[in-house]
Amino acid sequence: MNPLKAPPGTKIALMGNEAIARGAIEAGTYVMTGYPGTPSSEVLMTVHEFGKGLDIYAEWAANERVAFEIALGAAIGGARALVTMKAPGANVAADPILSAAYSGVDGGLVILIADDPGPITTQTEQDSRWFAELSKLPMITPSNPQEAKDFVVIAHELSEAVNLPVILRTTTRVNHTVGPVETGEIKPPKKYVKFVRNPPRFVRAGMVWNRERHAWLLQQLGKVEDFLSKYGLNMVEGSGSKCVVTEGVGYEYVMEALSKLGLKEGVKVVKLGLLYPFPKRFMSEVLRGCDEVLVVEELDPYIEFKVKELAYELKLDVKVAGKAEKLLPEVGELTPSTVLKAMKGFLHLDVHESEGVERLEAPPRPPPLCPSCPHRNSYIGLIFGILKAGFRREEVPIFGDIGCYALSVNPPINAIWTEHSMGASIGMAMGLKLSGFKGPVVATIGDSTLFHAGLPALAEAIHKKVDMLVLILDNEVVAMTGHQSTLTWGKTELGRETKPLSIEEVVKGMGADTVVVVDPYDIDRMISTVKELIRKPGVNVIIARAPCALHAARLYGVQKRYTVIPERCKECMACIKITGCPALYIGEDHKVHILVEDCLGCGLCAKYCPFDAIVEVSKG
Amino acid sequence: MKNMNILIASVGGQGGLTLSRVIALAAVGDGKSVRTGETLGMAQRFGSVVSYVRVGDEIHSPVFDPGDADVILGLELIEVSRNVHYLRRGGKIYTADEVKPPISSSLGIAENPKKSDLISRVSSKVKEIGGELYVIPAREIAVKAGNYRAMNMVLLGAFNASYSLLTDESVRKAIYQLLPGRKGDISVNAYMQGKSLNLKDYRKK
Repeated sequence: MNPLKAPPGTKIALMGNEAIARGAIEAGTYVMTGYPGTPSSEVLMTVHEFGKGLDIYAEWAANERVAFEIALGAAIGGARALVTMKAPGANVAADPILSAAYSGVDGGLVILIADDPGPITTQTEQDSRWFAELSKLPMITPSNPQEAKDFVVIAHELSEAVNLPVILRTTTRVNHTVGPVETGEIKPPKKYVKFVRNPPRFVRAGMVWNRERHAWLLQQLGKVEDFLSKYGLNMVEGSGSKCVVTEGVGYEYVMEALSKLGLKEGVKVVKLGLLYPFPKRFMSEVLRGCDEVLVVEELDPYIEFKVKELAYELKLDVKVAGKAEKLLPEVGELTPSTVLKAMKGFLHLDVHESEGVERLEAPPRPPPLCPSCPHRNSYIGLIFGILKAGFRREEVPIFGDIGCYALSVNPPINAIWTEHSMGASIGMAMGLKLSGFKGPVVATIGDSTLFHAGLPALAEAIHKKVDMLVLILDNEVVAMTGHQSTLTWGKTELGRETKPLSIEEVVKGMGADTVVVVDPYDIDRMISTVKELIRKPGVNVIIARAPCALHAARLYGVQKRYTVIPERCKECMACIKITGCPALYIGEDHKVHILVEDCLGCGLCAKYCPFDAIVEVSKG
Repeated sequence: MKNMNILIASVGGQGGLTLSRVIALAAVGDGKSVRTGETLGMAQRFGSVVSYVRVGDEIHSPVFDPGDADVILGLELIEVSRNVHYLRRGGKIYTADEVKPPISSSLGIAENPKKSDLISRVSSKVKEIGGELYVIPAREIAVKAGNYRAMNMVLLGAFNASYSLLTDESVRKAIYQLLPGRKGDISVNAYMQGKSLNLKDYRKK
């Protein structure tokens, strides 16, 4: 069943992000954009997979700020727009988002910011609820896939009612949870209506205008709680003077705990769907009926502060407990059991907890670079090149960036020294060099990350004549988040023709001192190129270009595979120690084996086997 | 019905996510409530992957805690051993007879456990809490059904034969929704083969 085209009233199992995509279609969103980032990517991917033939624009942008500006441009002309990003992406888009709060919008503009408590796949446990405070933009948050869909529609209605962009804040356990969703009516896509010149509203160069717009913003925020009251985003369940205030997936854990505790009455559960502006009217009424409050929320004590502040304002004698009282952790995601424990303490109850067995020790299995990954060759080539040029490994810092290639940090390759934020490799390498570091520095950055935030730093390094080797890992796709398009593609996912950009032309145009394109599968050439360029003054760029092996295998099939001749294997393990390829393993006979189904045929292991024990097998 | 918690333990790329999705789709097809909690993203390839699947009349949380799994479906034995503490008292494990040593084992950084050791370790833990362990030659059966990739469906069949959680019709529909055409044929075939196994033969005591 096509989740985007299913008729209203259909009940289907959808992942939170699929539900958001459906919600966007129901709301008549015409422009959908964003930058891939776990756990937000599947919203646009769902539209790409199921949206063919729908009259909508759904395309990835170079980075989150460009994506937001595209969505904003559409919304000031009256179209409905959605922009998606993971939490750090909100930081990238922060500048235009804050200004947009002053100009406002005419068409609905929904900003999906996906937080990642845990963190499961993100560099920090950023709590983006503070982002609403900072930008003064309304923020709502769903607890499950059904709400994720419904809230997109509500967010659009709110956005057009108060003329402000609205932030839909989610967390991984909503984005990546599958649950039943009942579909609603689909509105036709809302496209461009009109855009009239209005400098006080759209030009931020006038300081008087800016003060006026700030006052306007506060006035608009004052309408939010009232407008939303008809949608029931904030709810009270149960009764009693002991109150649990919660939001997001925390609500689901609270309900789970109540059912485990067998409690139907005696506790009031207060679920907040509106996070900003804080629903003071609703909460004042609730708080007046509470003697004690437990706040269940992930990450920072955001609601807790708000509730404590409100209780102070209202001069209420109510005990509010949460993170400050150490009932719940600030670090890591909540689990049903941490919430159950907090609820037990709060309600002075004892309940039999689940008992299992002690954990068994198991060898760790962090995600490695895939079999045949071209990045493996690039990093091995880089390291051997550094050694061949006469340096020791510890003399040459390798700055990393965000993408699959960060997995090169693990043994046996142990390549990158840093992985910080999108595009940071080049600027950080530059800073170390400028601070007096005498040896060579290397910045390694992926193709999509280069376009995302690497180009300004590269321009800076070239302009300031800082000596460094820049290794651009061009696998021709945004691999880590699930194979999205880059600016070098000639077509978008929905098939619209685009102009493919050339990385070498861009870098040459900036004035890089050397630009060489190397096929990383030709590892000897990788090594010799690094050896030649590592000592050369100037900004020297190697573009290591080969398609993501997984993507290529999916598109074109696997051309060849390798196997081990056991009699020839002398158990030296050179293949494993050099490549760390997950298709290789040591069997119970102590010899190396290749899991044929996982091998994608790069042959790097065979190249480094001193005994010719690894040989190609024909297809099939 | 009582809520059922299923933990799927696998290595990224083995089909653990497809399995959890098939169960979710089939459960909704049967009119049940369902929630799953997943670890997604290409970057999980060849890493440890756990999926939580919860089916019942009223489900809230997408995940559950150690000691709360009624069933563990394992696609790989190291991953089963890593997650055995999720099993509740009297719970059951259906696992493929499959070992994929991680790089840490091959590099000698971590232990490289033998298959027989893994099975006996898991088995002794399961015994402690009065559970049951079934080690199924899922690869062999999947290959007979048409492709080793259908191991996940063999396990689903074996599990559903014991628990009758899902109707065959809903499983079939769910499989074809996710895997149209020949892949679907193979998966349905693998599911039916798993369902018709004589499970007693695979019980480890």
